[in-house]
Amino acid sequence: MPAILRLSGSLKDVTGGKSEYTVEAGRSVRAVLESLGIVPLTVALVVVNGEQHTKDYIIQDGDAVRVLAVVGGG
Amino acid sequence: MNGYGGNILRVNLTTGGITREATPPELARDYLGGRGFGIYFLLKEVPRGADPLGPENKLIVSPGPLSGMLAAGGGKCDWTCKAPLTGGYASASMGGHFTAELKYAGLDSIILEGVSSKPVYVFIDDKKSELRDAAEYWGQGAVDVEKELKDKFGEEFQIAVIGPAGEKAVSFAHINHDFGRQAGRGGVGAVMGSKNVKAIVVRGTRSVPVADLDAYRKAGMALYKACKEAEGLKEWTSYGTTIVVSWCDEAGALPTRNFSAGSFEDAKTLYGPYMREKIVVTDKGCFGCPCPCGKYSKVKKYNAYAEGPEYETIGLLGSNVGISDIEAVAYANLLCDNLGIDTISAGNVIGWAMECYEKGILTKQDTGGLDLKFGNIDATFKLIEMIAKKEGLGALLADGVKKASQKIGKGSEKFAIQVKGMEQSGYATHNATSMLLAYMTCDVGAHHNRAWAITYDIQVGREKVVPEKVARVIWLQNFRPMFDVLGACRLQWVELGIDRELYIPLLESITGIKRSWEDLEKVGERIWNLTRLYWVRENADFGRAWDMPPARFYTEAPTSGTTKGQITKFEDVNRLLDMYYEQRGWDSNGLPIPETMEKLGIKQEMVA
Repeated sequence: MPAILRLSGSLKDVTGGKSEYTVEAGRSVRAVLESLGIVPLTVALVVVNGEQHTKDYIIQDGDAVRVLAVVGGG
Repeated sequence: MNGYGGNILRVNLTTGGITREATPPELARDYLGGRGFGIYFLLKEVPRGADPLGPENKLIVSPGPLSGMLAAGGGKCDWTCKAPLTGGYASASMGGHFTAELKYAGLDSIILEGVSSKPVYVFIDDKKSELRDAAEYWGQGAVDVEKELKDKFGEEFQIAVIGPAGEKAVSFAHINHDFGRQAGRGGVGAVMGSKNVKAIVVRGTRSVPVADLDAYRKAGMALYKACKEAEGLKEWTSYGTTIVVSWCDEAGALPTRNFSAGSFEDAKTLYGPYMREKIVVTDKGCFGCPCPCGKYSKVKKYNAYAEGPEYETIGLLGSNVGISDIEAVAYANLLCDNLGIDTISAGNVIGWAMECYEKGILTKQDTGGLDLKFGNIDATFKLIEMIAKKEGLGALLADGVKKASQKIGKGSEKFAIQVKGMEQSGYATHNATSMLLAYMTCDVGAHHNRAWAITYDIQVGREKVVPEKVARVIWLQNFRPMFDVLGACRLQWVELGIDRELYIPLLESITGIKRSWEDLEKVGERIWNLTRLYWVRENADFGRAWDMPPARFYTEAPTSGTTKGQITKFEDVNRLLDMYYEQRGWDSNGLPIPETMEKLGIKQEMVA
């Protein structure tokens, strides 16, 4: 069962508005982001199955990965 | 008038007269509200060359058409005046619940003018408005007085109040509300204090007319639903603005030891999750907010409860002064709130003083015996108090870092981190050219919230100086401050990524006037140019030199952290300005040209 990776906020600007990707297990979140043209440093948080992880987390089968953009400057 | 309270409350403190004037429909049409109303009244009514602390200056507080409405985040109002800190334009946005009460009392602006002969507070209960004696509150802390007034009048009344620093005209005194929300920057609290006004107390119970009630309900609920279903809602609500501390540390954007670096070796105890676990006791939201980002903390070490701290305070009163103890930062925050000074300017100017001390430019003789090394918590607390009371070294620092460094000299101007006299807020801009330009050209001085562009730097290449970066900054400057015009919080869009198009049918349903974001950005551009022309009007030598960044960012590279060895070249600073002025339609000295003014419908007499 593949993992689902979802992008939030301004990260969608980089991918032309696409926010959800099906990804194969075994790659790091960082590597997936880079393959999508997203600079990992523009990411604030990686949440996998409801828990925070680093960008170096290796994606497992069935994971629900949420990637949250860095935002600030209220 | 749909979406508006319908009245401007004019409070003449010299005569004691209070009048209600009908809000002109064309004012609402062309300037919408909030900071739009602010710049309109500032240009029209405050004479050229007015002393910021004199009777001619006016303090204007204005909600916007979304304030107090079924609009997620409609809890903002704008405070505008001539700034004591900079001598130019001040516009400070304040959250909480004050703005909704103004609206329900039928008010679209309050204009404070003149000077009272004795301390007073303005009391407003629907149509009833009067000045009341504030002698018993004068000299007391802002947070303390807010509690006293709440106890006296009840929870339904909302209060904006200054601390002792505002009374003493500290140039970065703020206006406090809701026990920790502020109109923070530029010295708006000093202007209120100069008028002998301690507080404004307001309650309103009237309804606000809307153009299309069914469409209003539908559009309002759509915006709320989008917020509640947004990715990141849980994390954003858990950490609020502190979510960004760890990222800033990683990216080299965390102000560290007076902005000499952008990463702090002891930052981990300032990170959002650590703070949440260590001191936060509850979340706290502004009016009508489905995603409350405010935090309330128990500071055991100092036996106190404090609002926050927010990211900016952690950056400036934490890493920027070398402090890694989150409880100390929270307590410093409370001191500033109660004494009535802006935590950003306070942390910036204290960081500068610490650097002066470590370099031997200031000695113990100057500091009144304080060992003002980076990281000295007790010295930081003491200096906050000295600034608010204008005692000893505090009197020098109370004028802001620009004037203080000009007085001290000895090269300290080079590490005074300010633009136009306003202390830079919480993002270090070593080799981050979009963000640097955003600070250089911000309409109140070195503040971040008009154009937060640092992730754009990282996405496209930090060192690049290209027209696309300049265009991005300009677009953000035209667009983001529109939230301060509409009277709404921008964080739902910024932090949760809410589709901004959701605001369009909501605004139309309220006002009955159809406007696209393209239309609103034109209003934003017009206001941006009006604020620029205000600086020009008030400062005979205003021009390019006023837009130059702190010398540190083009003369010294950090020696540690993520941005170690990185610097923006001086010629790139000038290239940024050249491109910015050209894209803005300004001349090479940064002044709007006649064709630009004509395009934006700005007549010379409006800014003369």
